[in-house]
Amino acid sequence: MTSLLNSIDTGHEDMIHDAEVDYYGLRLATCSSDHSVKVYDIKNGAHNLIDDLKGHFGPVWQIAWSHPMFGNLLASCSYDRKVIIWKETQGKWSKYYEYANHDSSVNSVQFAPAEFGLILACGSSDGSISILTYQSETNNWDAKKIQNAHTIGCNAVSWCPAITPEPAFDSNHVGPMQKRLVSGGCDNLVKIWKEEDDKWVEEKKLEVHSDWVRDVAWAPSVGLSRHTVASCSQDRRVVIWTSEDCQSWSSNILQTFDDVVWNVSWSLNGNILAVSGGDNKISLWKQNLDGAWKCISDVTKGQATNNEQRAL
Amino acid sequence: MALRWNSEFYMAMEHRDLQANAMALNNTGTYVLLAGRRYIAIRNLDDNDVDNIKKFPRQSKYDVGAAEWNHTDYNSDLCVISSNQRLEVLTWRSGELTQTHSLRAHTRVITDLNWHRTDPHLLASSSVDTFIHLWDLRDSRRPTSSLSAIAEASQVRWNYVNPHILATAHDGDIKLWDNRKGTAPVLYLSAHLAKIHGLDWNPNIESQLATSSQDNTVKFFDINNPKKAEYVLNTNAPVWRARFTPFGNGLVTVVVPQLRRGENSLLLWNTANRATPVHTFVGHRDVVLEFEWRKQKGGDIDFQLVTWSKDQSLLVWRIEPFLQKLCGHEPDESKDLDSDDIFESVEIPNKLSQKSQALQQEFSLLNLQIPKMDVLKMDLVKRFCTVCAKTNNFLVLLQVSFPTAYPHGVPPTFQVLQDSSIDDSTSAKLLQTLTHIAQQRVLKNRTCLEPCLRHMVATLEQLASDLNDKRRYDSPYFEPPNLFGAYNEDAYIPFPRTSGAKFCSVSTLVCFGRPTVSRRFATKMDSSTPRALSALGSVFSSKRPSDTITISSFYYQTQRNRPKHINTAHNLFRPQVVLYDTSELFYVNKQLAGKYILDGDVGTLCKYNGNEAARVGRWDLVQAWTLAELVSGPQQAEEDMHCNPFGTQLMKFLIEHYASKTDIQMAAMLSCVFGKEHEHTNRKQSLKSLLSPGTQLIPGKRWLKGGSPYHTIPPADVVADGWVFPLLRSARSNSLDNLRIEDNSIVPLKVNTTTSLYEYYKQAYAEILHRWDLLYERVEILKYMCVPGEIHKGVEFLSDCQHCLEPSRNCRCAACKKLSLNCVVCHISVRGSSNCCLVCGHGGHTIHMQQWFSSYEMCPSGCGCRCLIETGTVLSP
Repeated sequence: MTSLLNSIDTGHEDMIHDAEVDYYGLRLATCSSDHSVKVYDIKNGAHNLIDDLKGHFGPVWQIAWSHPMFGNLLASCSYDRKVIIWKETQGKWSKYYEYANHDSSVNSVQFAPAEFGLILACGSSDGSISILTYQSETNNWDAKKIQNAHTIGCNAVSWCPAITPEPAFDSNHVGPMQKRLVSGGCDNLVKIWKEEDDKWVEEKKLEVHSDWVRDVAWAPSVGLSRHTVASCSQDRRVVIWTSEDCQSWSSNILQTFDDVVWNVSWSLNGNILAVSGGDNKISLWKQNLDGAWKCISDVTKGQATNNEQRAL
Repeated sequence: MALRWNSEFYMAMEHRDLQANAMALNNTGTYVLLAGRRYIAIRNLDDNDVDNIKKFPRQSKYDVGAAEWNHTDYNSDLCVISSNQRLEVLTWRSGELTQTHSLRAHTRVITDLNWHRTDPHLLASSSVDTFIHLWDLRDSRRPTSSLSAIAEASQVRWNYVNPHILATAHDGDIKLWDNRKGTAPVLYLSAHLAKIHGLDWNPNIESQLATSSQDNTVKFFDINNPKKAEYVLNTNAPVWRARFTPFGNGLVTVVVPQLRRGENSLLLWNTANRATPVHTFVGHRDVVLEFEWRKQKGGDIDFQLVTWSKDQSLLVWRIEPFLQKLCGHEPDESKDLDSDDIFESVEIPNKLSQKSQALQQEFSLLNLQIPKMDVLKMDLVKRFCTVCAKTNNFLVLLQVSFPTAYPHGVPPTFQVLQDSSIDDSTSAKLLQTLTHIAQQRVLKNRTCLEPCLRHMVATLEQLASDLNDKRRYDSPYFEPPNLFGAYNEDAYIPFPRTSGAKFCSVSTLVCFGRPTVSRRFATKMDSSTPRALSALGSVFSSKRPSDTITISSFYYQTQRNRPKHINTAHNLFRPQVVLYDTSELFYVNKQLAGKYILDGDVGTLCKYNGNEAARVGRWDLVQAWTLAELVSGPQQAEEDMHCNPFGTQLMKFLIEHYASKTDIQMAAMLSCVFGKEHEHTNRKQSLKSLLSPGTQLIPGKRWLKGGSPYHTIPPADVVADGWVFPLLRSARSNSLDNLRIEDNSIVPLKVNTTTSLYEYYKQAYAEILHRWDLLYERVEILKYMCVPGEIHKGVEFLSDCQHCLEPSRNCRCAACKKLSLNCVVCHISVRGSSNCCLVCGHGGHTIHMQQWFSSYEMCPSGCGCRCLIETGTVLSP
């Protein structure tokens, strides 16, 4: 079902913690325990290192590409408690903005949907979530902080998509689009946040996981007026949350895996979920027409290397 | 020979199979007893053979709770262990261990026991059943007295000096008893708010008692003045045991083992200076369960500490005179000399001189020109040096003492002297970093004095400047060059991901992971992956507190003491990212996206798109396109086709079907086509009304059909079923503005959820096209949006109407309803796309302008403006 497109030897000196391809699928960014972030050109199967971004003083946990309408921006977060936004200008990458207002490791960064503007959410082990908003008038970043979003620590953040099939243009619904966030943390909770009058308030607290929540992902709408969120946890389970109105959520346990689950990621259409975890395996899940989730593919890393060897 | 790792401690025993959980030393310090559910083992510590151990099987279903040897010479062969509700007294005589008494009176599990310090027959035991029983071994049938405490007791300790006093711990409280005064406590101390784990009397001061608690403190009480703790020692973790040292005013603490925080070290404190521990005993690879002091042998200058950890290893630590000094104890130097003279008179001076040579060398090589720093004293014999650092506001006197083994794996100790002008917390921080640097250097057997001193000056300068800035100095986070320094905090940082998969762009799946050769470091790990970063620390910290702890070493066994494997593992370790193309999992097709057309009449474009679908092998789509064609095709194009309920329903169903299959592409395309078809019929209707009654239309001839781009635009505001809105006129090209009807009040807007869904499909598909960089196709889709996708922000050029001079956005002036622009070349009003010179304002049909300026530079009006050049200068930044 899937075909190998490209395999990149990153040359990192230590484990990779995150990898992401940009909006157009032309560039790959990776981050690693060796404190560096690397950017590769992967257009048409190439794998050329464009730049090696050094600026963190600890393992870099996660990276995020911005929407290209804001230029080529890349955000990275690290154990060194910093968030760095990198910018490409004329082929050169440099530090664009540094945010150092967290008291512990920053574990997650996510750019908001471009429709909201240039906004970055960061989740940290100090328990707080920072929302950084770029103000084009002042050329500054304005930081808002949700203090104590998760006791002990926040492990993941994800934005609600801006384009939803809600009747957004009906006359009662004029005004700015509602910004929403989902976050997961060491208090075993998944929380939904929304912006109200310039303030972020907790909208809902979702409680099913029995251990630290490691990742959350808000699904792009599949053409149904319904919100879907996936969360995964140290308790080895993946939970799919659905809601019509962001108020009442129903949970559905996708599967209990063999090892802890670290990552959940939705496809652009929002119908396929990629799950990966401590056992080094990746599985793809799809909902059939009856609403049941089925595993459609298992990609283990071993096969990946085999494939690669065959390709060579 | 006992395994000697460095001169600080040696491994006395390591028996994994013992599963012992209690340890006791006999009163001469010769024998150590280890007791567990299955075995009781006894080992002679003076015997150097590590494997020489006597094991006695013990068949019991209960673990051993506590164990202790009798403290007196008279009964030195007696030893007591607790097993659930029972006490077993064992006799160790001529290599055999026999049970001589079994004491039963407790009704719940026994928590602690303690022999009397001086009376060879007396024993106290505490239990969950709230009673403290005192036993006399001469009458073992029942306790001689029972003290009722109401609350369960966790600890019991006899006073060292006063033979009648004993203390018990009950949760956060302490009770003192006098065995002469019946069964009521003589004193009640509300000591801590959290549970008290450990209790110890000062061996020299009758009235002093130390309690260690879950609340991270050790409190010292004077029982003659019990209102308030005499002083409090703050640590960063719950304290399991705190015991006084037999010398000076030292105290040894250990962290609560159940926490498993990865702190396996014991801390030595000087109770006179409680800001920071004077020494850390690093060596255990698992949590320390028990520790006890060995009785000092005659002629021996070192004290010895015996520690027992959960991984069943027993370490014996030598407390060298310099450490004793740090605890305020002056070892008897003459004794030292005597022993040297008598036992090792030949060897020692040689060794000593060699060692002092290394130190002498370091002292002489020390660059005394460190700015803002003076060396006050260097003493080779006593092995210490004193320096004074002066930066802006600070004066720090630091004494560095070098143990004899320095610099081979043993760091020097640092002490901030009394006259310094920095507060306790700063000095604690300073000492911590100094010790850290020293440790890293000496691990490589390198000297560390100069780097430490330089660092101290740098830190102090930093401090001073920070104070000037009126900012609070935060602990220098990057100080330790290694990654995972602060294990406490790491307990809350999630364990790093080393594999993952992310959907990116449209259908790329980005995967990374560990190569399959990696195996997890398997020491004491559960089968599943740990949750917090501190797990790395607990695996490695005890072994090497150096900078080699990384996540990869967690998976690759380079940390094992097998250096030859390191290289191979590194070769295997190639962090890789693999990209998969998962487009086959999705229904959207990039090839088709480039081929599909939306221009032209509905029937032909359905046919064309169907053919394209067939060409890429999507037969499922061919059928849908054929259906769409049939619904809207020419053969159906009768006057009343738009009201064909079957067609409308079918189209709706088709769109819904593809949407539920998440085929956004098809859903969006059909939404557009269907919308187009509707507007088409609407247009016919409205045109009719416009031209009626005596319409010139020839029935049956679809004169509005055809490839003309003008015909993609609806002339009417008529909305049928919510497909088209008047709003969209402004979103589209205005080439048909001449056909516009200015009456807006024909049909009220009807918005329903289906419409918004269709809008969403178009928008979602447009985003996919954007990601594919198919910009033309994207715009084609966006033309069918009912709401403008993006509102234009930025510079806009408006032309003034040539008739009424009102600014006009469209080709027809909103004020005078005339066409606002005449082409400067052909002199005909412009209705389609136009271009004007920004400087002289002349312009006209785009095509005419293009033709003109391909051969001329000057304005076609003859105004003399060099339009291309002038406009260029206006637009250039």
